[in-house]
Amino acid sequence: MLRQLAISCLVAALALPMTARTRPHYGGRLRVEIEGEPWQRPNGLARRLVLDGLTSMDAKGIVQPALAVEWKSENDSHRWEFRLRTDVHFHDASPLTSVAVVTALNADCSANCPWTAIQAVGASVVFTSDSPMPNLPALLASDEYLIAADAGGNIGTGPFQLSGFSNGVLALTANESCWQGRPFLDAIEIHMHRSIRDQWLDLGVGRADLVEVPAEQLRAAREQRLTVLQSQAVTLLALSVSNSGALANPDLRWAIALAIDRRSLFDVIFQKQGEVTASLLPASLTGYSFLFSVERDLNKSHEKHGGFTPPLLTMTAESGNAMQLAAQRMALNLHEAGFNVQVVAAGGARPGDLALRCLTLASNQPQAALEASLRDAGVQAPVLEQTPANLFGVERDFLQNHTLIPLLFLPRAYAIGGRVRDLQLRSDGTPLLANASLQDAP
Amino acid sequence: MKAKILIGLIAMVLTGMTAVATPEPSTWEQPAENLAAQIAEILGPGQARLTIRNQSTLSDSAIPTIRRLIEQDLKTHGLVTSGAESANEIRLTLSENQRERLWVAEIVEGNETRVAMVEIQHSQNLTQAGSATMLLRKERLPGPDVEDSLPCFSSPDGKPPLLAVAERRHGLIILKQNCLLELDRSPSGFFDGKTFDPLASTQAQTRDPRGIIVTNLDDDGFFVFLPGTKCDGSYTISSEQDRPPGEGWSLHCHASDDPWPIVQQNGLTSISAFYNAARNYFTGVVSPSLGVDLPPFYTAALLPRASDGRALLIGGIDGKVQLVENGALKPVSGARDWGSDFAVLHPGCGAGTQIIASGSGEALSDSLRAYELPAQEAVPASAALAVDGTVTALWSAPDGKSVFAVVRSVTNEYEVDRVTATCN
Repeated sequence: MLRQLAISCLVAALALPMTARTRPHYGGRLRVEIEGEPWQRPNGLARRLVLDGLTSMDAKGIVQPALAVEWKSENDSHRWEFRLRTDVHFHDASPLTSVAVVTALNADCSANCPWTAIQAVGASVVFTSDSPMPNLPALLASDEYLIAADAGGNIGTGPFQLSGFSNGVLALTANESCWQGRPFLDAIEIHMHRSIRDQWLDLGVGRADLVEVPAEQLRAAREQRLTVLQSQAVTLLALSVSNSGALANPDLRWAIALAIDRRSLFDVIFQKQGEVTASLLPASLTGYSFLFSVERDLNKSHEKHGGFTPPLLTMTAESGNAMQLAAQRMALNLHEAGFNVQVVAAGGARPGDLALRCLTLASNQPQAALEASLRDAGVQAPVLEQTPANLFGVERDFLQNHTLIPLLFLPRAYAIGGRVRDLQLRSDGTPLLANASLQDAP
Repeated sequence: MKAKILIGLIAMVLTGMTAVATPEPSTWEQPAENLAAQIAEILGPGQARLTIRNQSTLSDSAIPTIRRLIEQDLKTHGLVTSGAESANEIRLTLSENQRERLWVAEIVEGNETRVAMVEIQHSQNLTQAGSATMLLRKERLPGPDVEDSLPCFSSPDGKPPLLAVAERRHGLIILKQNCLLELDRSPSGFFDGKTFDPLASTQAQTRDPRGIIVTNLDDDGFFVFLPGTKCDGSYTISSEQDRPPGEGWSLHCHASDDPWPIVQQNGLTSISAFYNAARNYFTGVVSPSLGVDLPPFYTAALLPRASDGRALLIGGIDGKVQLVENGALKPVSGARDWGSDFAVLHPGCGAGTQIIASGSGEALSDSLRAYELPAQEAVPASAALAVDGTVTALWSAPDGKSVFAVVRSVTNEYEVDRVTATCN
């Protein structure tokens, strides 16, 4: 036993990610395979390669300049002015201007914006709002507010530019005049709609350099001795609960929250990856998430249920085998509490009463992350609080409505081939391919 | 026996990996007082049970001290901690997040639970000890620590990479990607009198930035070479301690593709090499010509040779180390685990000249190691000296008695180490 423990510890220590000591080589083509779409929001793989935001977030969660070099707030954060970086060009050679930024942000965010108005003033972009926007620089670092010359399109200022798309392969080439410096790679191919099994097979025979590892398959990836890069827990698996129709009664929503067995989702479906949560933010950001109970309480659920039998409820789930399994298991949990739930395909004629969703942690600053999560859940109010105690209060007040039931925080992970060097993950779990290089680059 | 060896190995690995500091008890007094005040405001005078659980990296051995402090402070508010019979309960959880420790008290009165919290800043982690047991020794240069307080480095682009440092008689010159900083050395040995200049205007942007500083013999001027940019700097030596920032200091930068001085002898440049400003290496074209076409290389150093006085050692971008000697390129063996950077040291022992090379990434942490090159095979002359991150630049001091290494930590903090050799 002691020997096994010793060997496990040693293997764990030696399995720490290696970083290259030699200087990165320029050149080469990196082949990436993904299950979904490269442009999907949020965090489609191509988005951060092609597009930049006004700000960016470093690994410590500190907001850094990107297309904006500096910013200042006035009038108690009701007005923000962001001064743009000079001599930046889009991939079509048109200059980055404040007018272009305003056009792009208006297209990104027509209704659910943190600001009321946005305007171009010289080389600056000015945001104004009826409510204070203390977290605006952090919010603008999120995937939601990336800048494209062709509003909503894919002509950006990022390290790679779109060079072709055919047969399910997106081709990107290095942006030689990138304002951050040319990337080390010459080109990236993104092969989409590849099953995880095919991705891993291609990685094994050297036909892919970077493939996806869903959280529930992290253990299998390690058993297959894949080299895995894993982020912090950045994806929140949560159940959206309608607050109208059959579930307008808050006690019924509470009964649903009490009936769900998070631990079985964690143990069985997601193979003990990530963390069980009843909080919108992970413990690493706040330190207080244990205050929200994750335990199932079927007796109390029945009590809240009050013997009332609602009509048949429908539940939808985002795509993915694990998501469908999780939805089925939760339907069983709810059946034990007296609810009849049918799992249906998403995109039907009417939205489901319940929806199993993945929300991306938009920031690793707790205030900005909480504001973004609340915005995602339909609450458009700035989070002004700064202390953990006050943030806890905001979160508790929201969660008491039981319109969003946090379940698990999951990591993002990728497996890489042996010739990939210096690849790191951003704080949001997306791979930072602009700084990666290939060992055998010419 | 095998188990003992394994445990020993684990201890070695883990000792090198982490060192979590436990704060001094004095740092807990204020938060304990604050938390006790919050609890007392909720519960009022009386009795309550106190339970403590630790969900943080704090050592469990700290819990009795924290309990004692909390109990003392509660008592000053008339709240006495008691046994299991009390109806009120204080459940204290020692938690933490990425930025701070968080002590959370759940105060249970009947069916109602209220919450109080205090935050405590994390103390800085202890740094690991160097493992130089043989020839090499490193000493962290204190000057670069001070730069974060300067406006040049705090905005607008966060912390730019540190590229090089030059020592002069009266202080330090620190080169960052977008900024040059001069620090004066005070009589007490500390650095002050900071002046700085931005450098961004003509420089080519690159993801692996490099740069060098070359000081002149009279200690009153210097050149800075950056990708696509050259700067001429000068300063007047002043004994005034309180001179205004910028006085006696001038710097002029301009776009330039001049070759970079890569070898200096007696304060004069003897070999220059053209740098590819859009990449991170020298093109292979050097001045004066060495009589043979050189491949592109990352680094070069001049070695004294018994045969013909001098030979140039180059580290190619293909990973090969070669010697340019007598107008011919000769492969060097024994350098497979070298990184991209090396520099020459003349400590006056062994063969008189050693090459200090960074590691190649085949080990878990970067390191520096001394080698001798009696012929065409690199022979280790010291044990590997571990550094606290990745070596990003390496160059010889003007007197050849030490080597400077820029080291980037996993958290993107930079330090400069002076590496010297102790002769056995």
